Amino acid sequence: MNPNKRISCHAFVLVIVTVTIALSSQASAQASASSPGSQDAPAAPWNLQVDKVDAGNVVLEPAFQIAIYENLLVELGKTKRFKQVLRDGDHNASDVANLLILKTTVQKYTPGSETRRAVTTVSGATKLSVRSQLCRRDGQVVLERTINGNVRFMGSNLRATHNLARNVAKAIKQASLPQPSGSPTERPTLSEQRSLSSF
Amino acid sequence: MDCTIATWNHIIYFWRSRPSLRLPLLLLLSCAAGFAQNASQPISSPLSVRTTHILGFEGAESNAGGTLSIQENSLQFQRNGKAAVRLQIASVQDVCVGEQSKQVGGLPMTLGKAAAPYGGGRVVSLFAHKKYDTLTLEYVDTDGGFHGAIFQLNKGQGEVLRSALVAKGAHVSESHDPPKQQGTVEVSDEPK
Repeated sequence: MNPNKRISCHAFVLVIVTVTIALSSQASAQASASSPGSQDAPAAPWNLQVDKVDAGNVVLEPAFQIAIYENLLVELGKTKRFKQVLRDGDHNASDVANLLILKTTVQKYTPGSETRRAVTTVSGATKLSVRSQLCRRDGQVVLERTINGNVRFMGSNLRATHNLARNVAKAIKQASLPQPSGSPTERPTLSEQRSLSSF
Repeated sequence: MDCTIATWNHIIYFWRSRPSLRLPLLLLLSCAAGFAQNASQPISSPLSVRTTHILGFEGAESNAGGTLSIQENSLQFQRNGKAAVRLQIASVQDVCVGEQSKQVGGLPMTLGKAAAPYGGGRVVSLFAHKKYDTLTLEYVDTDGGFHGAIFQLNKGQGEVLRSALVAKGAHVSESHDPPKQQGTVEVSDEPK
C-alpha cells in the first residue's frame, strides 16, 4: 500500500476511534448525571417558574432568546431538583406553593460563525454569558450566578444556548437552596399533579 | 438543419475520441439537470413548506424534518407518516424571521472533513455551507404558559410564511425585528 494512503487510513481510523470514545464518555456522563440515584437528589420541595429571557441591552436574535428559554425548561426538568417546572405566564403558578422564579438576563453575546470554526478551528466561537437569579415571589434573591455557554468547535451557533442551559441547570443543581417556609404538601393543587413528561 | 447535424456529429466524435472525459462530462450534465429541475420547480405553496423543527414546538420532536402548513386557523407541523401537531394561529404572539449559515452534510461530512489529509477538510468547509431562514414563533398554551418554537426553512421562505401567519391573525411586535447581519463585535450589557 502507498505510504501516504496508509497514513491517511491510520489518521481516519484514529479520528473515528477518538470521536467514538469521546461520544461514549459524554453519553455515560450524561446518563449518570440524569439518573436520579446518582446524586443525592433531595426531595423536591420547591417549584420553579422560568421567566422569559431578558436580552437587556444586548442585541440578540429572537431565536437565541427562545432557544435559551426552551433549553432551560428542558435542562431544569432533567435535574429533578424541582417538583414542577412552569413556564412564564402559566396561570397555575399562582396556586403553587414554594415557588421560585428563575430570571435570566443576557450580559454578553459574541456572535460566532460555524464556517469560521470549521475552517480555522480557533476563531468563530459563539459565546453567551447570562446572569441567572432565583427569586422568591416577593423578589428576594435566593441564588445568583453568572454563567457562560459557548460553542467553540463543532455544532451550530444555537448549540451555545444548549450548553448555557446545561450549565445553568448544573449550577442550580449543585447550589444549596434554603428550605421553603411551608411544607411542600401544605397546599396541594391540581397543577402540582401535572407531570414533567412534556419536558 | 445541416448545422444541427454537424453539431451532433462533433459531439459524438468528441464523446468517442475522449473516453477519459466521459465521467466528468456525465457528472457535469447530471448536476446541470439537477439545477435545472430545481429552477423549474414552482416555489412551494406559501401555506405548506418543508422545514426542520429545531426546538420548542410542543409535541414535535426536536431537529426533525417535516412540513409546516397553514390550515384554516391553525399552524400544523407534520413529519412524514406521523401525526400532525397543531397550534392555533390566534395564540401566536410574535413571529420573527432570522438568518443563519450552517455547514451541510451533518456528522458524516464532519468526519470526512476531519479525516481529509493536508487540511483538505477546511477547504471543503469553506464551500460546504448554506444559508437558511429561521422562523421563531412565540405563542401561549391554554394555561397561559409562554412557548417558543424555532423552525429552519430554505432561504426566502421565512418571510413568506411570516406574512401568511400575519394574514391569518398572528400577532407581530414591530420592535422585534431581528438583526439581519451578525457582526463580529462583542456586545455586552455589563455595567462599566
